[in-house]
Amino acid sequence: MAIPVDSQHWANLIWAVLLLPLAGFLFQAAFGKKITDLLGESAGRAVLGFMAVLPIAAGFLLSVIIARNLGGLEPEARLFITTWFNWIDLQSLQVPFELRVDTLSMTMCLIVTGVGALIHLYATGYMAEDRDYPRFFTYMNLFILFMLLLVLGNNLPLMFIGWEGVGLCSYLLIGFWYQKIENAKAANKAFIVNRIGDWGFMIGMFLLFAVFAASQGVIGEGELRYLSFDVMFAHAQEVIPQFGPVVITAIPLLLFVGAMGKSAQFPLYLWLPDAMAGPTPVSALIHAATMVTAGVYMVTRCHIFFELAPVAMLVVACVGAFTAIFAASVAFGQTDIKRVLAYSTVSQLGYMFLACGVGAFSTGMFHVTTHAFFKALLFLGSGSVIMAMSHDQDMRKYGKLSKYLPVTYFTMLVGWLAIAGIPPLAGFFSKDEILSKVFSSGSHWAGQWGGFNPAVLYVVGLVTAVMTAAYMTRMFYLTFHGPEERWRNLPVPAHHHAHAVAVTGEAHGPDEHGFFLADEEVARRAAEEEETHHELGPGHQPREPGFTIRFPLLALAACSLLGGMILAGLNPLAEMFGAETPHFFEVWNEPSAGAALLPAETMFRTEHSTEWILVGVSVLAAVIGIAYMRFRYAKGLPEDERRLRGWRRAAGMQWYFDAAMYRLFVEWGGRFSNGVKRWFDEGVIDGLLVHGSAWTVGAFGKVFRKTETGYVRTYAMTMLLGSVLILGYFIWVVSR
Amino acid sequence: MDNTGFGLLSLVIFMPLMGGLFLMLVPKDFVKVHRYLALAVTILTFVASLQIYRAFSGNTYHFQLVESIPWITSLGITYKVGVDGISLWLVLLTTFIAVISVWFSFYVGERAKEFMVFCLILETALIGVFCALDLILFFIFFEATLFPMYLMIAIWGGKNRAYASVKFFLFTFLGSIFMLVAIVALYFITQEKLGEGTFDLIAMQELAAAGDLAAGTVQLWLFAAFAVAFAVKVPFFPLHTWLPDAHTEAPTAGSIFLAAIMLKMGIYGFLRFCLPLFPEASIQAAPLMMGLAVVGIIYGAVMAAMQPDWKRLIAYSSVSHLGFVMLGVFALNHNGLMGSVLQSVNHGISTGALFLMVGMIYERRHSRLFKDFGGLKRQMPMFSGLFLLIMLSSVALPSMNGFIGEFLCLIGGFEAGFNGTAGIPIWMPVVAGSGIVFAAVYLLWMFQKAFYGPVDKAEIRRLRDIKVWEQGLCWGLVLFVFWIGLYPTFYTSKMEASVNALRHQTIQPPDARPAWADMSVDVNGRGDVVEVTGRDPVDLGVWTQVRVLVPSEHHKQREDTEAVVARRSGEQP
Repeated sequence: MAIPVDSQHWANLIWAVLLLPLAGFLFQAAFGKKITDLLGESAGRAVLGFMAVLPIAAGFLLSVIIARNLGGLEPEARLFITTWFNWIDLQSLQVPFELRVDTLSMTMCLIVTGVGALIHLYATGYMAEDRDYPRFFTYMNLFILFMLLLVLGNNLPLMFIGWEGVGLCSYLLIGFWYQKIENAKAANKAFIVNRIGDWGFMIGMFLLFAVFAASQGVIGEGELRYLSFDVMFAHAQEVIPQFGPVVITAIPLLLFVGAMGKSAQFPLYLWLPDAMAGPTPVSALIHAATMVTAGVYMVTRCHIFFELAPVAMLVVACVGAFTAIFAASVAFGQTDIKRVLAYSTVSQLGYMFLACGVGAFSTGMFHVTTHAFFKALLFLGSGSVIMAMSHDQDMRKYGKLSKYLPVTYFTMLVGWLAIAGIPPLAGFFSKDEILSKVFSSGSHWAGQWGGFNPAVLYVVGLVTAVMTAAYMTRMFYLTFHGPEERWRNLPVPAHHHAHAVAVTGEAHGPDEHGFFLADEEVARRAAEEEETHHELGPGHQPREPGFTIRFPLLALAACSLLGGMILAGLNPLAEMFGAETPHFFEVWNEPSAGAALLPAETMFRTEHSTEWILVGVSVLAAVIGIAYMRFRYAKGLPEDERRLRGWRRAAGMQWYFDAAMYRLFVEWGGRFSNGVKRWFDEGVIDGLLVHGSAWTVGAFGKVFRKTETGYVRTYAMTMLLGSVLILGYFIWVVSR
Repeated sequence: MDNTGFGLLSLVIFMPLMGGLFLMLVPKDFVKVHRYLALAVTILTFVASLQIYRAFSGNTYHFQLVESIPWITSLGITYKVGVDGISLWLVLLTTFIAVISVWFSFYVGERAKEFMVFCLILETALIGVFCALDLILFFIFFEATLFPMYLMIAIWGGKNRAYASVKFFLFTFLGSIFMLVAIVALYFITQEKLGEGTFDLIAMQELAAAGDLAAGTVQLWLFAAFAVAFAVKVPFFPLHTWLPDAHTEAPTAGSIFLAAIMLKMGIYGFLRFCLPLFPEASIQAAPLMMGLAVVGIIYGAVMAAMQPDWKRLIAYSSVSHLGFVMLGVFALNHNGLMGSVLQSVNHGISTGALFLMVGMIYERRHSRLFKDFGGLKRQMPMFSGLFLLIMLSSVALPSMNGFIGEFLCLIGGFEAGFNGTAGIPIWMPVVAGSGIVFAAVYLLWMFQKAFYGPVDKAEIRRLRDIKVWEQGLCWGLVLFVFWIGLYPTFYTSKMEASVNALRHQTIQPPDARPAWADMSVDVNGRGDVVEVTGRDPVDLGVWTQVRVLVPSEHHKQREDTEAVVARRSGEQP
């Protein structure tokens, strides 16, 4: 149970962690422009960059303190809830502004602030030349705020603030370079597809509310915090089964729709590849390390609802496995270095859901953590490459970059081996653990899932592991190795101006309100826009960026190298030798992410010999993938990939799924809506009904107007005629 | 009938009218005098209306600051005004929005005097609508809003103003004819039941609470007559087609008044008249109304996405947003009704602000078509930032006002569907929830078309960012966006008692319905209907409770339920 927190308690430090990025955001938003104006561009940016990194780094240090204090307690006592005020306070529902400090939220908190601080530091270098430097950090700090709220909130609506808030920041940052309309469209796509997921999240939340509000007798009189985690989790097992199988299954499935949107699972993954339009630090922080793992976090947080519904677990596992292998196949058809990483992110997220689907929630979180290390590293490394290559992201123009970018090369080497699953790097521990748990829990789930054979999931996971190693090797070799520097073969670029805008002194009316700029000001601004665009050409010399770029790379490389070993406590290896060394990460997360209802003690148990074989198989998978692709790409860009054809082209286009969805929803949906507008709204309702009735009234008027002649004789005639008719009628009636 | 004399409410209602009459005396050449004087009057009215807030207690559902003055005694017509938790915020919204509208109308150059006068007359009529407790008085204010708005559109409107103004007038007028018939019918019913006819809402509701006002088919017809009048105003699909034309052609201040307040007259009408006076009919009609609301949500959103015109898009978005409000009303539970009242205020702020900001850009660019825009974000960063905030509040981003309202409406609707209240099927709120996806579609498209992309049009390249005072107006609205979004309790705490009573008036069987006339009952802080012994004659919110008559379903207590059973079966416990 939650321990009430008084105002002196150390757990209240969490408010500082949350409010620091808020302060940073407000500072950047309010003073960003002023400071660069006051101190000059370079000094101003130094101050702003420092002020952007500071709150996140300080938040990380505070999180470390909280986590250490938390770790010092008994496992059952590792939960604090600290409340500020009642956000929604009705007689029928209370939603307090309350934060939850437990091992799961602190795990995420450490990732968000730790990796976040490194990426902020990186961004001070990456964005140094950008015109909208303050705006960038405004959004980034805001993102950290919302992400922390998402992981720390102790009720679903509060989590939903963060959930939609990170979506907003993602939208703003994908569209950061909004003057290219494609970026703006990618941003819209991200927000809208995410909103489809949010719809599921909201309906799931409503269903939970309805269920708990109808069970007042069980959860206790006067308890109106129906949507708070502590209330829901404590009574879920008692309350939910009363409502029958449909409700039991619908709750987790609806929540999972939300997770699918945020964590880019098939078919709602569509937005993530396009999201690469944002600056690379954004891709690293939001679209790899933190935000996209929010779905996994949410499923883990709400795991009790999932455990109640085996069917939902099956769906989670299958969607995860399918997404993993699907996205991995698409990665083979990519030429853009960031898009390879984007699909690999989708694929790795699939792994995490696969783990959750078989009940290994803590393992899923373990992969979230290691993935945050190595995927952030890979993205930042790719950013370094992209900077060095004049912002050209096409791997076909790279080659032999190891010669020019040694630090990037070695750090990305670590990231590559980590994601491929080579021991003893971080990715190996988490991925191997997922595969082994999928395998070992098969016997448990075979009974629960009807005719479905869980071994299929293991095979899919294993094949994906081979594919992951393969496409990452392709990326790595195309970028850093090969006999030639392929950009040397490009044609010499013609220099042209990016935005040629006609500045005309066209005639305009008198400007009485002062709405318009003076002509000189218009001309000055136009000149500012005309920035020369450097393009990659044969004379290009790649140069490795400076300290702010290198330090985060090195730090994340160290995490990717050692993080797995430290967090796993070297357990899989130790355990195989018979030692009962506790798995550090799992023990730490046990109180919050450990299975509540499933027989976790027994369902994942395997023989040591089997464990050995599983490890061997997954290492073998990685080695096969790497070896084959090394063989293929060591000689440089293969002839058949200069222009993508055949299956590779189809794969690159997501097996036409994106195009089909676009056709269906955007084109046909648009045509349908336009048809409704023109034929129904303007035609039937407004035309037929509104104007039709108006016309009818008018027509009657026209007819009767004819009778209003104004001649007395006509009226007299009419009266006479009428009197005769009426009289005649009565006579006829009476005489009958 | 006692005569209380005029008081604070009358002051707030008629201050703008007095100001308007005074303005008429000022020669029309003194444009600046007209502008500043009108602004001063609206600000004074706003300040005066804050006194209503100060005097208002959230502890009681009874009408407060009631003024009752015999007017046409032979027909039982009284000048009777008062506020409760439902009308309080709408009155404050009106006085606040009036300041914004009048201030922005400084840009009106042509016939500035008449424009300001109409704004002030309109304000009086709108406040009157929300305060009137006599049906004839209500009808007079309700119709009185038509004329200034009609003239605003017809004189200062866009190209198609003649068509739009007539359409607006006819739609509303036709709807209210039905209402007038129903009001007269109600008079005769009261004459029959009480011996003496009256148009007093409180007296009528007392009859309704006892189940004596009208029953069966008669009640259904009366409900329908009122509902048509209000459905046109809301507007309900398929009675909405006047709205895009009127909003689009109206001058900025007119659009703001229309969207922010006049649409709320429809919602308010449902809450104030339809539910308490015709409870059985309301329950019977709930699935139909909710169905129409769901259609409106989706339909309005789809239509909005297809509009090439900035103002038409926002107009259709109102159809969608007010669908959420109606969903909340006919959920007939606490969450839904609270959501609908709050969302009425929210929509007034968000959509009012959207029209205000479109007005700002229209003053400069003289176009509302998206094809004439693009790249505004680069050119006008402050305007874009503010517009983004307002747009997001309309998207209902959590932590902003729109979220609280829509969340409560939807959660109420879902609860009703889940529990099968009034035969509402569960799919309706589920489908309605998809409105949040559509809202993102049309609003983000709007933002993309106008603000993103390169600055490639020479007319855009000339634009200066908005001025400081215009920013001030926007920040004023943004303040409420976050205030309601982050601390809605400030607003909801004053509504709860009235909303709770309204719900009991609607869903309880006849003898368990609290009556406005019956000062010996009230609603306590937990939502129970309770019997009251002592009450402060001045501050109605100060009272002492004896026992629970109808317990809140969120705090069920065994003894109290027994008490109610005993009470219903006629025994004294």
